[in-house]
Amino acid sequence: MSHAATHPAAPAEEGLGVYTQKLGMWVFLCSEIMFFTALIGSYIILRWGSSESWPVPQQTLNIPVTAFNTFVLICSSVSMVKAYAAAVHDDQAGLKRWLILTVLLGASFVGVQAYEYTHLIEKGFTPSSGLFGSTFYTMTGFHGFHVSCGVISMAWCTMRAFQGKYAGGKFHGIETIGLYWHFVDLVWIILFTIVYLF
Amino acid sequence: MTTAGVAAGEVGHAHHDDRPFIRKYVFSTDHKIIGIQFLFLSLFFLLVGGVLAMLIRWQLGFPGRAMPLPGLWPRAMAPDGVVLPEFYTALVTMHGTFMVFFAIMPLLVGVFANYLIPLKIGAPDMAFPKLNMWSFWLMIPAGGLMLAGFFVEGGTAASGWTAYAPLSANPEYTGATYGQQLWCFSIIVFALSSLLGSVNYITTIINLRAPGMTWFRLPLSIWALFITAILALLAVPILAGAIIMLLFDIILHTHFFMPAGGGQPLMWQHLFWFFGHPEVYILILPAMGITSDLLANGSRKPIFGYHSMVYAIIGIAFLGWVVWGHHMFQSGMNPRLGTTFMVSTMFIAVPSAIKVFNWLGTMWKGSITFTTPMLNAIAFVAMFTIGGLSGIFMAATPVDMYIHDTYFIVAHIHYVLFGGSLFAIFGGIYFWFPSMFGKMMNEKLGKIHFALTFITYNLVFFPMHILGIGGHMRRIYDPSQYAFLKPLQPLNTFISVSAFALFVSQLPFMWNFFHSLFWGKKAEMNPWHDNGLEWTVQSPPPHGNFAVTPTVYHGPYEYSRPDMEADFLPQNQPLPASAHAAAH
Amino acid sequence: MATVEHKHPNYIAIWLYLAALTGVELVVALLHFLPRHWLIGALVFLAIWKAGLVALYFMHLKFEPKRLVIMILAPLPLAVIMVLFILQEFHR
Repeated sequence: MSHAATHPAAPAEEGLGVYTQKLGMWVFLCSEIMFFTALIGSYIILRWGSSESWPVPQQTLNIPVTAFNTFVLICSSVSMVKAYAAAVHDDQAGLKRWLILTVLLGASFVGVQAYEYTHLIEKGFTPSSGLFGSTFYTMTGFHGFHVSCGVISMAWCTMRAFQGKYAGGKFHGIETIGLYWHFVDLVWIILFTIVYLF
Repeated sequence: MTTAGVAAGEVGHAHHDDRPFIRKYVFSTDHKIIGIQFLFLSLFFLLVGGVLAMLIRWQLGFPGRAMPLPGLWPRAMAPDGVVLPEFYTALVTMHGTFMVFFAIMPLLVGVFANYLIPLKIGAPDMAFPKLNMWSFWLMIPAGGLMLAGFFVEGGTAASGWTAYAPLSANPEYTGATYGQQLWCFSIIVFALSSLLGSVNYITTIINLRAPGMTWFRLPLSIWALFITAILALLAVPILAGAIIMLLFDIILHTHFFMPAGGGQPLMWQHLFWFFGHPEVYILILPAMGITSDLLANGSRKPIFGYHSMVYAIIGIAFLGWVVWGHHMFQSGMNPRLGTTFMVSTMFIAVPSAIKVFNWLGTMWKGSITFTTPMLNAIAFVAMFTIGGLSGIFMAATPVDMYIHDTYFIVAHIHYVLFGGSLFAIFGGIYFWFPSMFGKMMNEKLGKIHFALTFITYNLVFFPMHILGIGGHMRRIYDPSQYAFLKPLQPLNTFISVSAFALFVSQLPFMWNFFHSLFWGKKAEMNPWHDNGLEWTVQSPPPHGNFAVTPTVYHGPYEYSRPDMEADFLPQNQPLPASAHAAAH
Repeated sequence: MATVEHKHPNYIAIWLYLAALTGVELVVALLHFLPRHWLIGALVFLAIWKAGLVALYFMHLKFEPKRLVIMILAPLPLAVIMVLFILQEFHR
């Protein structure tokens, strides 16, 4: 009696005009916007509300390495969207290639961040190093946590791609996880600018 | 499930569920089971919160007196049965925390959103059933972490449910060595649970409505739950962020809220209340929605002003984002900001008032039957009005200067949360119990529970307005240390005795609930003659809800139509032939 | 539900665009030729431009129903209100 579940029927009542999985991901991303608002907003408030001078980021942080890392993350967004395009056109070989590249680029980003953290901590710059340390580690730490979750999810998707779960033009899962991935990249674009470059 | 809904008249998803017991009733993905799981869990936490309140009232009513069974109380809490001041601050903290996060929110949202949304919109289940299951099961570690505070060295968090920094940011200030961290972790896990729920409710209502269930045919309970889910989606992450920063201040020695390191304690208050104000609308909007459905049903009349009710819900939610500073009038914040908040807070009274008048308009000249759900719904309107009126006092900053952090505020909170939310919750439980369990609750016991609760509840909380105007402050262990409060002690004792009576008055409900589960009268089909889709299937509904996907022909409040003999018309039945021109 | 009827944008072109904008950001930030306020303004502008490219093209918002875009934009005024109001507090 549940054969109706496989019936790709037209929507019952028109919602926002996107399929449910994608809508769910966007709703989730709205909450993530607010979560990062709390962290980034607090940074803005503490920095521009404090009467004391803020340390110059370039003096503590490694801008060239992080700039390269930013480029890596942007590349991973490109590979993600190429994976999506491949899935749409049922190019399974392309899908697998681009997904693997995305996982590798994402993992590199996390790796470089981890390297940056150890280096900074060795230098004596820790979360308790004033407001700069507090805000820097909290914002980038939670961003890195989100990227890590993304890498794990992407690896799982890659495994499913190899199992043929996206064959035949079934691109919804890829598009949905892709949205999360692009969001994480988007947050980094903002973070990199306002934390490292000011 | 990636597609939206099923086309009209198509074979639905209802089917016999022959999965093993553990998948069917324990790790279930069925929204109805999950709603019922939330019901049991949150009623348990309501009891916990109530017990904590009794301990608070003992100390306030009989200061310094030993409680019964003096030897049995842990020495760190109440040596020889006398509540310690440090334990008292832990009590008020935990009472607020359990009631807000583990009782009222899960009761209104976890229970009614989960149970009602798919049924009332004609969907087979939520959009993401597995995430829904996680939403419930995350509440277990969240609750466990919160309860764990009672068993660790230093006791639970003791900085109020509002956890103001820097009191909360340094364990040495309250003596709670681990309690505040446990509190933080617990709320973070709770926030995840809430998030998964919100994503589900919003997506389901947008995408899975049955054919014909247009936005303005949704029952008001669903509108309210939808807007509440949006508030929760956007507000809870702010709380999570703030709590993470607080946790880092404690364990990583960051300096977000600690002045010594350049931090800003006032920023905690702003962040917390930016969440906190939408939070209180989360705590009341579903209750308003439930009340609307119950009042229309109990008056056998359409809701008065359905469209304005919807716009009022949206208006309350909108304005609710820009009033948070009214919790901070006394914090030393920028006075110009204070004025802004005063004005916006006064504005927000308007949509709430519109709703109250519309409820009255609904009941006016209705054929009212005073069933237990109806009694609770009517009590909601009256008690919420009182709570709302005291809110107007607070909105005026000059008045708030005097009554802030007094029992006037405590009275207000409890009039809206107990007089409002809890009565609506009781009404909702009595009303939808037959749908959930296929049995009726005992009507006589229900009326006894209502009468006793209503009377004792008012005896507890109304006098608190007087205490507050008299200057009696909140969270105070021993009011008699102030000469000006000594004359008010008899009132405190009176409130405490009434509070014990209020607690005991819940026994008929507990008995009724559990007894009816097993031995209640079997519910007939649609016992309340209601128009909701949940009553068009057997009670309890089968897994997958509808054997045939319903088509919706009209709004949910077609009661007592003059061109019909029956005084109700379920949403999946077409209007009488004569009425097609009027259909919307 | 065909949301893919549009032609795919040129993702590689967007990638180059993003890389170029990042380069401009680095030049602006590290070469210190702008006064402070202009520097911040320029960097914020560039960051928003990059974010917009990712949102519109990689996340396909350019091709989605307008109602979805409105839903997603809704939290942004809240975020701005929160930060602006609280800044008032400390920037008296």
